[in-house]
This record gives sequence, C-alpha cells and structure tokens, in this order.
Amino acid sequence: MMAGPVAPAGRTRIAPPLLEIRNAQIIYDNAVEAVRDVSLSVPEGSVVALLGSNGAGKSTLLKAVTGTLHLEEGVLTKGSVHFAGEDIGHARTERIVGNGMVLVPEGRRLFANLTVDENLTMGAHLKSTAEMKRLKQMVMELFPRLAERRSQISGYLSGGEQQMVAVGRALMAEPRLLALDEPSLGLAPLIIDSIYQTIGRMRREMNMTIFLVEQNASRAMEIADYVYIMENGRIVLDGPAEKMRTNLDVQEYYLGFSGGDGARKSFRDVKHYKRRKRWLS
Amino acid sequence: MNYLAELLASGLAVGAVYGLIAMSFAIIYKSTGLLNFAQGEMGMIIAYVAWSISTSVDGNPFIVALGSIGFAVLFALAVERIVIRPMMSEPILSQIMVTIGLSVIFRSAIILIWDGLPHNMAIASGNQLVDLGGVRVRAAQIAVLVALFAAIAGMWAFFRYSRFGVAMRAVASDDATAQLMGVSSGKVQMAAWAAAAVLSGVAGVLFAIAYELSPSLYALGLKAFPATILGGLDAVIGSAVGGLIIGVTENLVGGYISSGLKEVAGFVIIILILMVRPYGLFGEKRIERL
Repeated sequence: MMAGPVAPAGRTRIAPPLLEIRNAQIIYDNAVEAVRDVSLSVPEGSVVALLGSNGAGKSTLLKAVTGTLHLEEGVLTKGSVHFAGEDIGHARTERIVGNGMVLVPEGRRLFANLTVDENLTMGAHLKSTAEMKRLKQMVMELFPRLAERRSQISGYLSGGEQQMVAVGRALMAEPRLLALDEPSLGLAPLIIDSIYQTIGRMRREMNMTIFLVEQNASRAMEIADYVYIMENGRIVLDGPAEKMRTNLDVQEYYLGFSGGDGARKSFRDVKHYKRRKRWLS
Repeated sequence: MNYLAELLASGLAVGAVYGLIAMSFAIIYKSTGLLNFAQGEMGMIIAYVAWSISTSVDGNPFIVALGSIGFAVLFALAVERIVIRPMMSEPILSQIMVTIGLSVIFRSAIILIWDGLPHNMAIASGNQLVDLGGVRVRAAQIAVLVALFAAIAGMWAFFRYSRFGVAMRAVASDDATAQLMGVSSGKVQMAAWAAAAVLSGVAGVLFAIAYELSPSLYALGLKAFPATILGGLDAVIGSAVGGLIIGVTENLVGGYISSGLKEVAGFVIIILILMVRPYGLFGEKRIERL
C-alpha cells in the first residue's frame, strides 16, 4: 500500500532550484512576526517536505509562496521568493498560478455548491477550453472515482473523495510545482495511504516537483527527498530525508520513537541542535 | 374575472420590473458579497439617459437600446472602478455605506442634470395598448415580462454552462480559493456590476415607457430589494421569481382589499416566508461538511 521511498534524485546544485525562498520574514497586521529569516529551496523534480507543529509558520510560508498573504493582511517584509527564476514575493496569485505553481489548500476548500466537474473546470481557469477538456480526461483517468461522481455536488462527497477532487483540481492547472498543505489532515489512514500513493505516482509519472507541508512527519518522510523542520517561525533543522529519519531528535519529536527521558521538548532545548544558516554563510 | 385578469397582468408587469432589479442585487451580492443600495438609482439614471437619447433620435428603438445598454455598461464599470474597487478590502459595512452615499448622489444628479418633472417617454409603440383576450396592457408591460424571462434564461445558461459563470459561482462559494485557481476577483466584480446595470437599466427604461419617467423611479429599488431577500440573496433566478410574487401580491391586495395596504402587502409576505425559510425561497444553504 505504501508509495514507497522514492530514490533520491541526484541533488546536483547546478541549475537554480525551481522554488527558492531566501531569508524571508513575514509579518501579519504590521505586528505579528510569523516567519523569521527562513531560507528554503525546492529543486526541480524533487519532493521537499516542510514539517512542524501547529502554528510553526508552515502555512504562512505557503501563503507567501502562492501570493495569498494579502488576504490575511500578511506581508513579506524581508527576503525574497523566486519561482522558476522570477521574483514572486509580491506577485499576484493569477501570475503565480500561470507560471505553474499550484496549491492544494489545507482543508481541501472545495467549492461545496459546485459539482465535481465544475470544481475541476475551475482548476483549469487559466487554460483554454480544449486544454481544460484534455486535462479533465487525464484527471479522470488518475482518479476513476471522480468520473463516477462527476455530476455530484462536491460538498456531499466523503472526505477522501473530496481530497481527490482537491488534488485533481490542482492538477488541472498543469503545475510544475504542486504545493500540498496538510493533505492527510482529518483523513483515515487508508485514505492517507492512497493519497500518498497518488503523490508518488505524480512524481514518478509526471515528473512533478512537490512541496509538501505536513504535521504527519512519518508519512511525509517516506516520500520526501529533503526535509525542513520549522518551529516558532524558523527553520530549526534540515537535511536529506534518509539522514533525517535516523536523526535522534527527529525520531524522538516527530516520528514518535521514545528518546531518553521521554518528555516532550522543543528543539531549542536540545543540546546538539544547531541552526544552519546555509544561505547567510 | 376580467378585473382579476387585469390585476394579475399589471401585477406581473410591475413584478417583472422588480424582478429585473432584484436580479441585479443578487448578481452583485452573489459574486462579491456586497449589497449595492444604489441599484435602483442606477436604473433610473440609465432610464434618463435613454430618454435623452430618444428625444435626440426621434425615438428610434434600436439606437436607444444600443445607446442605453452601452451607457449602462460604461456607467457601471466607472462606478465599480472609481468608487467600489478601492473599497474592496475594507469592511463590508463601509462598502454598503458607500453605495448608500452613491444612491443619494445619483438622486440629486437627476434633478441637477435633467429636472424634477415627470415625463412621457415614447419609444416605438411602447405605450400603445394591446388587447390580450379582453385584458388591455401596454406593449412595454409585455416587453418587460419578456425581458425578465429572457434574463432568467440567459442567467441560467450563463451560470450553468459558461466558464466565467462557473467561476462567478466559485467566487461566491469561496473567493480566496477561487483566487488560488487564478480567478481575478476584480474581473468578476466588473462583470457583475456591468450585468447588474444592464438588467436594472432595462427595468428602468421599460418602466418609464409603460408608466412615466420621474425622479421617483429610484423607489423601484426599494421594492426590488425585498424581492431579492424573498427569492434568496444569492439566488439570481430566485430573485426574479421574488419580484413577480411581490408585484402580483401588491396588485391583488390593492385591488381587492384596500389600496392603502398595497405598499405593505409585499413586506408582510416577506416576513412570513423568511420565518419559514430564512435563506429565502431559493437561497443556497451553506453545505457544512468536511
């Protein structure tokens, strides 16, 4: 049932990464600093996971990347966000979507009163009608269940089916980079399995770059090439997934293996925690 | 029997006027969440412009229709761009206050630009009497009913089959997510304002032809707004039906019970129906399910 660990791509750093965030600071309402000095990169063709608990700033970072910060009075005050070589730190969402970065938002956010078919149509909003039809065909083949439910009102589908619609809707935009915000939140383990299988297939068959934001660390690490861990608005640890899986702190705090005294601690309290400022050095 | 038929006919005609303006309210509310309280006034201004055009071209109906629809679109886009767009991210109550301010300005503009007197608007044979099986109605009254049904059919097809119509429904359902798909909320708002202005312009012009053109035309908006509530604020086609219900009820109550109750009758019905169906007759219930 597992999507299986994907062979890590040769992480040569010759081409610039598809998505690159440098020293980002994000402030809400001119007062609350939600993200501080965060640098992160997603190379083309890779799966990068951003892990962290609730309120660590993961979703804020995603909003900066997809140009939706302004909807909640957030501003990228320092640093930059580049996608495919273009500075998108203050770009409009339409432009970012048009460039090929698409977000599957947290909680799926389907248009509940629209049918499955209409939700998919919306995903291809910036495409021509012929393109839209071709992409719909592709999504229906990827999720045969959606073909059966095509004309049903999406608000009445089950949680798993809704997640399929949400992913399918994002694929309708033919993303170069698919960002997924908590795709496993609130779903049953079997459904999470099938979602992660789909993510694996998209990566293998469509060579899609995936930026995965998750609280479910063990699932995300199974599939990711590279992992960032965020706490209190900062990246506190990062590394290739296979190294992170064997990291004692990560095992203790994110994968649920019991460590020394078993008490929950923050990375700030861990002695050998060392914050890496790769981009500053 | 004939009396009843006449009451019904004139009720349907005035109800169709309410219905067209009610649809305008619903289109803007559905796609932007805003109530435009200047909608009746916009219909009135468009009717006055149509009158000015008609007096200078001897009432040629095609020129009047083209000219006033063109004006309606430009007028709505200007209002949207200059006044509404900069307010887009402000609290909804402030936006509504702005539309109320606009309504007062538009009302005084009529007196300033034209005058305060009632006028007779003669376009084609719009105020000719037509005999429909013993019931005599004006041609413009038939025209407004036809216009309403055309608008209903057009809107239904637009929201069901056109991609932009589906996008407008998506914005109504969740505008932040619609923006994530690349939908421009500005374009949706422009389209909504333009469509709303054309519909209320048609209502204003046909009302002026069938009855008279006067600075009290804006009051149609006050009657149409309850029709929108009755049909469901987000139900564009439901609002049209709401308009017909209010028009017919007013006329029947005015004709059979007392003309003093005519103005109140519609509102009594609204209160009764809203107590049973708080979303209005055709309003969409929010689907709360994750």
